[in-house]
Amino acid sequence: MTNGWIDIKNTDMMLIMGGNPAENHPCGFKWAIEAKRNRNAKMIVVDPRFTRTAATADLFLQIRAGADIAFLGGLVNYAIQNNRLAKEYLLNYTNASFLVKEGFQLPENGLYSGFDPATQTYDKSTWNYQEGGNMAGKAAPIDRPAATAAPAPAVLPPNVAYDLALEHPRCVFQLLKKQYARYTPETVERITGIPKDQFLKAADLFTSIRKDGDTKKVASVIYAVGWTQHTVGTQIIRTAAILQLMLGNVGRAGGGVNALRGHSNIQGATDMAGVFDLLPGYLKMPRPEDTDLAAYLKRVTPTVSKPGPWDSFSYWSNTPKFAVSLLKALYGPAATKQDDWAFHYLPKIDRQYSWTQLWDRMYRGEVKGLLSFGMNGVMIGPDTKKNIAALKKAEWLVVGELYPDETSEFWRAPGTTTEQMRQIQTTVYRLPCAGFAEKDGSFTNSARWLQWKNAALPPPGDARLDQDILAQIFLRVRDLYKKEGGKFPDPILNAAWSYTDPQHPSLSEVTKEINGKALADLKDEKTGQEIKTGQQLPGFAWLKDDGTTAAGNWIYCGAWTEAGPQLARRGTEDPSGLGIYPNWAWSWPANRRVLYNRASCDVEGKPWDPSRKQVWWNEAAGRWVGNDVPDFKADSPPKDHMGPFIMNPEGVGRIFAPLAAFAEGPFPEHYEPMESPVKNPLHPNQSNNPVVKKFTTAEDVYGTVEQGFTVICTTYRLTEHYHYWTKHNPMNVETVPEPFVEISADMAKDYGIEGGETIKVTSARGTYIAKAFVTRRIKAMLIDGKKMHQIGIPIHWGYRGIAEDAGKTANTPANLLTPTVIDPNAFTPEFKGFLVKVEKA
Amino acid sequence: MSQATLEIRAISGHAGSVPGAGVKRELEVCKLIDTTTCIGCKACEVACLEWNGLTFSETTFQNSYQTMPETAWNYWNLIKFNEHERDDGSLMLLMRKDQCMHCEEPGCLAACPADGAIVQYANGIVDFQQDRCIGCGYCITGCPFNIPKFSPQARKVFKCTLCADRVTQGLEPACIKSCPTGCLHFGTKAEMKELADHRATQLREHSGFAKAGVYDPSGVGGTHVIYVLHDASDPEVYGGLPADPHVPWTVQLWKKPLKWLGNLAIVAGVAGVFIHYLRYGPKTVPEDLQGGKP
Amino acid sequence: MSTPHLLPNGRVLRYSFHERLVHWMAGISYVYLLLTGLAFWSPWLFWIAAALGGAAVSSQLHPWAGLVFVLAVVRMYQLWGAQMKKTPADKAWLEAMPHYVRNEDESMPSVDRFNPGQKILFWGFWWCGLLLLLSGIILWFTDAIPWSLRFLRYFAVIVHPVAALLTIGLFIIHVYMGTAAERGAFGSVVRGDVSRAWAKRHHQSWYESIVGESSAKK
Repeated sequence: MTNGWIDIKNTDMMLIMGGNPAENHPCGFKWAIEAKRNRNAKMIVVDPRFTRTAATADLFLQIRAGADIAFLGGLVNYAIQNNRLAKEYLLNYTNASFLVKEGFQLPENGLYSGFDPATQTYDKSTWNYQEGGNMAGKAAPIDRPAATAAPAPAVLPPNVAYDLALEHPRCVFQLLKKQYARYTPETVERITGIPKDQFLKAADLFTSIRKDGDTKKVASVIYAVGWTQHTVGTQIIRTAAILQLMLGNVGRAGGGVNALRGHSNIQGATDMAGVFDLLPGYLKMPRPEDTDLAAYLKRVTPTVSKPGPWDSFSYWSNTPKFAVSLLKALYGPAATKQDDWAFHYLPKIDRQYSWTQLWDRMYRGEVKGLLSFGMNGVMIGPDTKKNIAALKKAEWLVVGELYPDETSEFWRAPGTTTEQMRQIQTTVYRLPCAGFAEKDGSFTNSARWLQWKNAALPPPGDARLDQDILAQIFLRVRDLYKKEGGKFPDPILNAAWSYTDPQHPSLSEVTKEINGKALADLKDEKTGQEIKTGQQLPGFAWLKDDGTTAAGNWIYCGAWTEAGPQLARRGTEDPSGLGIYPNWAWSWPANRRVLYNRASCDVEGKPWDPSRKQVWWNEAAGRWVGNDVPDFKADSPPKDHMGPFIMNPEGVGRIFAPLAAFAEGPFPEHYEPMESPVKNPLHPNQSNNPVVKKFTTAEDVYGTVEQGFTVICTTYRLTEHYHYWTKHNPMNVETVPEPFVEISADMAKDYGIEGGETIKVTSARGTYIAKAFVTRRIKAMLIDGKKMHQIGIPIHWGYRGIAEDAGKTANTPANLLTPTVIDPNAFTPEFKGFLVKVEKA
Repeated sequence: MSQATLEIRAISGHAGSVPGAGVKRELEVCKLIDTTTCIGCKACEVACLEWNGLTFSETTFQNSYQTMPETAWNYWNLIKFNEHERDDGSLMLLMRKDQCMHCEEPGCLAACPADGAIVQYANGIVDFQQDRCIGCGYCITGCPFNIPKFSPQARKVFKCTLCADRVTQGLEPACIKSCPTGCLHFGTKAEMKELADHRATQLREHSGFAKAGVYDPSGVGGTHVIYVLHDASDPEVYGGLPADPHVPWTVQLWKKPLKWLGNLAIVAGVAGVFIHYLRYGPKTVPEDLQGGKP
Repeated sequence: MSTPHLLPNGRVLRYSFHERLVHWMAGISYVYLLLTGLAFWSPWLFWIAAALGGAAVSSQLHPWAGLVFVLAVVRMYQLWGAQMKKTPADKAWLEAMPHYVRNEDESMPSVDRFNPGQKILFWGFWWCGLLLLLSGIILWFTDAIPWSLRFLRYFAVIVHPVAALLTIGLFIIHVYMGTAAERGAFGSVVRGDVSRAWAKRHHQSWYESIVGESSAKK
């Protein structure tokens, strides 16, 4: 989240879309209710189903799964057409005034400039800003590149051309306007199935916060995996970000683009590089062309790119400090300047290793074994059949779990014959692990708070803590390398492992290591503050690229300082009343609760809304001060016009995302889901995402309407269950005992299905059988003029659980139906919006 | 809870005086359920199970999110889900937490023949004392809200206690504690009424629910569980919340006029035959009298 | 019914062993029902339940006792239903009731085996028994009655005590008549026989029919 859970209480307007917080984040949803109750905030819910979130909404719109960009693009268009914009914000805090390079083309035919159909990739060199100065009133075009010009290395120009009148035809604002002018209410209706009048009602309501030039009110956009789990997932979120930048809602209390994380520590997993292309703290993973640290740093450290008179902090310019401190934390004394800080120890990724791609390689026989901890692989991935087939091909599988799960028992999935079981050669090791209440450590929540927790009770029986298991594996592998050598033993032999008890690393020690410490005496020349060798670092501003600091994750620097575990703080003071609670736990970065909070003030440094003062410029002190920690260069006066979006080299928010920021293009464009019931009404010849990642094994089949797959299906989660393990817990089982398929009353009538009757849902990949839940909460819809049905399947059931173990049932996983196809940016599979057919069983 | 407390306002099936009959407690407790902010998460259902140690029962899918059709002897707290279409065609998913309403004039207590099986504390809580319950089930008939439920295993009736055990210790009921959205509140009746009225006003003025109101039915003397409803004029759509609940008239007739009439009749009957005997003596057969053998 | 007949000892058999057994089956179960019922009727009588083994036991056994009672009443109907039918002579007897009350039995018209008062008692118990059975079943299985049929419960809670009160009235008179008021009657339902004079005085037509029958047999 840019903001935080509690901060939602400060909002005036909520757009909840691609998420169902009432059901999947009920505790956090409290704050949405608070906003309604205490501020009369309005709530708009857009979802394929009328959910329990919709039950508390002021306005609900039923959207076709996968049509989100069309809806949001329609909102962008509406805001521009009706002048519902935060003008000062748009002009000063976004790149709306930046000029875009000649040769850049909008995707009117479905493709941006630079597409190579042969490789299905883009040459993104035109997706860039124009070099130059103030272009107000100057005629376009300028600097048209010669067709034969050799491709220059794609970097952002340091001196960006701009037009503060926002009138230049190649300025971002004009391009944005042109891009979304196509997203008329009529087009929105054709694509999303939301009737025009309802769309207009929602658009008017959402943008009403900027009615008549009001700058006080704030709107929040709240989403979850209902946005990410699409082949255009990242771009859906981008559209929301653009909308929020145009309305001036980012950085403000009650605003922001807020991702609701589905697990207690999924934010922590992302922060700590639970993603293959990242190192901790969102540093990029080295690639083979990064032959040394310098080359790597040159590639990943951005350079400032802004209009001449403006200033940009460009905080990522500190990347070398973060990277060297990370290497010092990883390899300790072995990371020396002479040895390039052991940069060559880091693996270089020559291909993508996202979850789906990894299992695809296992299916192809390239991955021989799998360590599976904290996940139920068979259940969570798309196309269960393929994933089970992949495990059958693996030589070994290690599963660390609380319960006997479907992954460790993949060999007995429903439909597997005894003969087939005999043929499976995979060796499965099942390790009993500790549950969350049996471990200490910290969770990082959606609000970016690191919160320390204590173990409630010891693990039962033979169960062990995850870190103990991992320590055993590491220490034994290291011993093997010591004894037998190997191709490249150094990274293993030199990995820092300086825990008091190496067999059982304590998580407090690990956390302190992540926070980082001084490796030499340090002194801040300005303040005179000193830090002695070996002391915990108070924050990432102290990190150095000369080897005198170590930090396992720069953004977590400050979580466990000399003053103690900041993340264990439990102060309940909230002097501002904004729900900042500065002394509760610790929020990255630097205990800031709202990111980019400089943008909560006008250009002069005064809060847009004096009743919701987060930070402000104190002229007397010559500093930014406030209720929150300013997310800004503390002594940069407003007159310097430093941009509030300090993590961008531009210093401002990106309405236009240049160069390689996103795979599909600088502005989001609506593309149909991989399996769609219609051709893209915007450009039928380019219906899907042109750079989507498909798979090519025999299992990877995609259904079409012509094959009879006419019903739109989406998967979802219920409030009564948590993924795949609450089917082991009596109370959860009691509250929702059986799987079902939610279908509309219209559809039930058309198909002659009664509520509670068993039905069969079939996709190109598999069949799912469950009882029908006939409801009026889903309605048939008109998509591009054709009547269509949409159904929903909760994902929680499988073949292990209370009922399953009692031999009463063995349910097939819902993901038998879902396609293996992923978003090219975040590599998330398209669980939401695929095609099925429905029959009576 | 012990009946030794003097703060008992009413006792079922009780001969003689009630220790706390005259006690006027300033702070009568009340649970407020704001159905307009309920999200049907069932945290209250599970908290109730856990706190009260209720046993697991097997359920089946019933074409609804609702856990079971109605509350059970081992399931005292149930959110009722109803899809309701408004006049303008828009849909509402109504979710109402159903449990004992803790009536000011409890029909269960009135109907109960067992001495002390149902008590009403001065704070308004109506509590079943299972050790005194005789399993007759009259309370089931007396209740206008379909709350008391008979356990065939225990041969006793159970229902929500408003967590009387927690409340005496100064804690809120378990359901309140677990509610994530704050749609449940607990406090004094006066406070809750004020809060409820405030919320209903807000709904009328800002959320387009012109008929929003508070449900505190006078037919049972008011309740110690009150609702804020989007449409107070039609409570039936919230899973059969009675619009005007009363203790069934037959129960009232039985427990009041009929009881006195009956008592009178029985006494009169016995007295009548006695007087008859005094006046007329036995019927005799003269021949048998002479023969000396009846 | 051919049971009643003249006994060798010169007395008249009024109730056969079978009839007496059925009567006491009804009688004892009724008394149990009455006592437990009264315990639940009034808090002031709740102690009766305690005396009978506790209220929980009483409430659990009450319906079973009810079934025994109903079975006995049904058997009585089979035994006596025909004889309990209203006859034209009943009207005269009922008109002469004040004499009966004043023990001027000699002024009463001749009646058959059962006088109209007994018939009223019988049919009173029969119909009230039916109501008690129906309402009792509802109350017995209160928890099984769905909420939509709750009116049945509302019906039952009022019908059961009203019917019970009516039987109590009948019971008081019956017991009084059978014990204190009518000498010889109690013996008839214990030992089974009555004197000829008793039979002749209280049930002349019946007596005459027996005498006629036996002489015919001879």
